[in-house]
Amino acid sequence: MKKRIAALLLSTVMAFSLTACGNSAKTEKADNKETKQTTETVEDMSFDEMVDAAKGTTVTFYGWGGDDSLNDWLDNYYAPRLKEKYDITLERVPMDIDAILSQLSGEISADKKDGDIDMIWINGENFKTCKENNMLYGPFAEELPNFQSYIDTDDEETNADFCFPIEGYEAPYGKAQLVMIADTAVTPDLPTNTDEFMEFCKANKGKVTYPELPDFTGSAFVRNVIYDICGYEQFMDMEADKETVKAAIEPALEYLRELNPYLWNEGKTFPKDSTALTNMYSDGEVVMDISYGAYSTATNIENGTYTETSQSFQFDKGTIGNTNYIAIAANSGNVAGAQVAINEMLDPEVQADRFAEIRTIPVVDYNKLNDTQKEAFDKVEIGKGVIPQDELLSKRLPEMPSALVPIIEEIWAEEVVGK
Amino acid sequence: MKRKKNIWEGLIIGIFIFLVIVPILTILVWVGTERWAWPSLIPQKFSMRAVNGILRNRQQLVRLCMSSLFISASVAFLSVVIGTMTARALECYDFFGKRLFSFMSMLPFLVPGTVFAMGVQITFIKCGLSGTVQGVIIVHLICSLPYAVTLMQDGTRAMGVKLEEQARVLGAGALQAFFKVTLPNLFPVMLSAFSMAFVVSFSQYFLTLMIGGGNVKTFAIVMVPYLGSGERNFASIYSVIFLVIMLLVFGILEWIVGCFTKAQEVEYY
Repeated sequence: MKKRIAALLLSTVMAFSLTACGNSAKTEKADNKETKQTTETVEDMSFDEMVDAAKGTTVTFYGWGGDDSLNDWLDNYYAPRLKEKYDITLERVPMDIDAILSQLSGEISADKKDGDIDMIWINGENFKTCKENNMLYGPFAEELPNFQSYIDTDDEETNADFCFPIEGYEAPYGKAQLVMIADTAVTPDLPTNTDEFMEFCKANKGKVTYPELPDFTGSAFVRNVIYDICGYEQFMDMEADKETVKAAIEPALEYLRELNPYLWNEGKTFPKDSTALTNMYSDGEVVMDISYGAYSTATNIENGTYTETSQSFQFDKGTIGNTNYIAIAANSGNVAGAQVAINEMLDPEVQADRFAEIRTIPVVDYNKLNDTQKEAFDKVEIGKGVIPQDELLSKRLPEMPSALVPIIEEIWAEEVVGK
Repeated sequence: MKRKKNIWEGLIIGIFIFLVIVPILTILVWVGTERWAWPSLIPQKFSMRAVNGILRNRQQLVRLCMSSLFISASVAFLSVVIGTMTARALECYDFFGKRLFSFMSMLPFLVPGTVFAMGVQITFIKCGLSGTVQGVIIVHLICSLPYAVTLMQDGTRAMGVKLEEQARVLGAGALQAFFKVTLPNLFPVMLSAFSMAFVVSFSQYFLTLMIGGGNVKTFAIVMVPYLGSGERNFASIYSVIFLVIMLLVFGILEWIVGCFTKAQEVEYY
C-alpha cells in the first residue's frame, strides 16, 4: 500500500513538473513577444540606433574553431576592439558547421525566438540550405556603412556565393583560394597544369594524394582538375543533373582514374581531410599539400610546420577561389549587435590587421581605400613561400553552382576511388 | 597466500603498460613539437606555440576548468544519490514493473547520444532549459546515471540487507540503520560511481554542445575542435591538461577512499 502511495506521489510530481514546463514555455513566449518586437524594429533602425541598442550586449559568433591563429586573433584583437568601441561582448563559440546548423534548426523548429546563435561563419552549400529554409536573418549586408564604403559591389563574390544569390543575407568575412604546396628542396619542378601534374605524380609515385571528397579542400581540388581539363565556363549555368554533369566531366574522370595508380596507397584510399593531408606533408609522407588558405604557407613556415623551402604554386589556368561570409541566425536574440559586429569586421583597419596577423586575403576593395588605409595593407610582409597577391588573384577561378558540388562528389566516389 | 609470479603474466602487464605509457609520452613530446617527419627519431622543429597559446589564455582556461569541474562534480554527486536510491529500490524491494525499470535505467547505454540529442534539445528548449547550466547537468545525468546505477547495484547486491536487518534487530531506527550501517559500507562503491560519473560528464562533448548551445562552455567544448583540427601540438596540450585534471580528481578520490578504509576496516564483498 505504502508503495502505491509513493508511486502516486511520484506520478503527481512528474505531472506537475510537466505542467511547470508548459508554463515556463508560455511565459517564455510572452517574453519573446517583446523581443520579437525589437527584432522587427531593428529593420527600421539606422546604424547609429543599432549601435545604441547594441551597447552592453553580448553577441555570439559560431564557427569552426580548429584554427588557433584565427581564434587567437578573434579573441585578442577583434573581441577587445568591439568591447572598447561599442561595449559589445563577443562570445566566440567553436563549433563545426554541421553542429551549428543542427542546433539552429532545432531552435527554430522548437520556435525559440531569442536564439543563442547570432553570427555564423558560413558559405556555399550550407548557406544555400539555410537561406532556402528561412534560417537566416536578412537582408542586412547592403545596409551596413562599411559594406557600402569598402566592398566592391561589382565583384561576383559579393553577389553570389557558389553562384547562389546572396541578396544581403550574408556579408563577406575573408577570401580563400586554392593553392598547392610542395618542398622545392624535394621536388624542384612544380607542375603548372594537369599534364605536368601527371608527370609529377609519376615521378613521386605513392607520395602525392588529395583529401577524400566531400572534404572541402579535396572537393575543390577535384573541381580545379575538372576546370583545367574541361574549362570552367560551361559549369556556370549547368543544370544540376547527374547525367549532364557526368557527361561534362568525363575527360577529367578519365584523368583522375589514370592518376590513381601513382597516388598514395594507389588511390584506393585518400586522407580523410585537408588537415590530415597537411600533417602527412609535414611528416614527409607525401610531397604535396593542398590548402584553401592561400597564404597559410607563410604562417606555416613561420611556425615551422612546413620546411623553409616550401613553396605554394597553382595551375597556369588558375585555381578556385571563394569567399566565406558571416550570416545572422533568423532567430538571433541580438540582431542589432550582430550587425554592428559584422560592420566592424568590414572595417579596413580590422581587415588590414587580420591580413597582417593571419594573412587572410582581405574582402575590402583596395581601390576604395584612402592612402593611409592602403598603406596598412601595403606594408604587410606576406612572408615566404607564397604567390604574390596580384598574380594569385589574376588566376582566380569562380566556384561552380553549389548544387553541382555534391553531384561531383557523388560521381567521384562512384567513378574514381579505387578504379 | 602468495602466488609465484608467472612470466607470462609479467609480460602481458608489461605490454599493457607499454601500450599506455608510450602514447602518453608521445603526446608529451608533441606539446612542444611543430614538425617531426619520418624517419627522424627526434622532432626537427620544437616550438612553444601551443604552450604560449595556453598561457596567453590562462585566465579563460582556469574559468573554463572551474565551470567544467563544477558541472561534472554536480553531475557525479547527483548520479551517486540517484544511483544509490535506484540500486536500493531495484535490489531490496519488489514492485510492479521492476524489471522494466531496471531495463530502462540501462537504456542510455543502448541508445547512442546523438540519436536522442535532437529530441532532448527540442524538449529542453520548450522547457526553457537549453543554454543553461541546469540543462547541461540534467543532460549529462542521462549519460552518467546508467554507470552509477550499475555500479551501485553491484555494490548493494554484494552487501545485501543482512547487516541493516541486524541493526534493526538491535534497535536502530530505519534511518539510523541506513546512515550508520549501510551508507558507510557502500561508501567506497559510491566513490567509484562518483568517479565514473565524473569522467563521463567531463568528456561529454556533443550533448553539451546541443543543450548548452554555446552558452555553457566546458573543457571538452574547447578541446574537441583542436583534436580534429590537425594542430597536433594544441591537441596534445589540451589532452595533457585533460589528463592532469582527471588524474588529480582520481587521486583525491583514491585518497579519500584510503583514509576511509583505514579508519574503518570493513569486510567488503
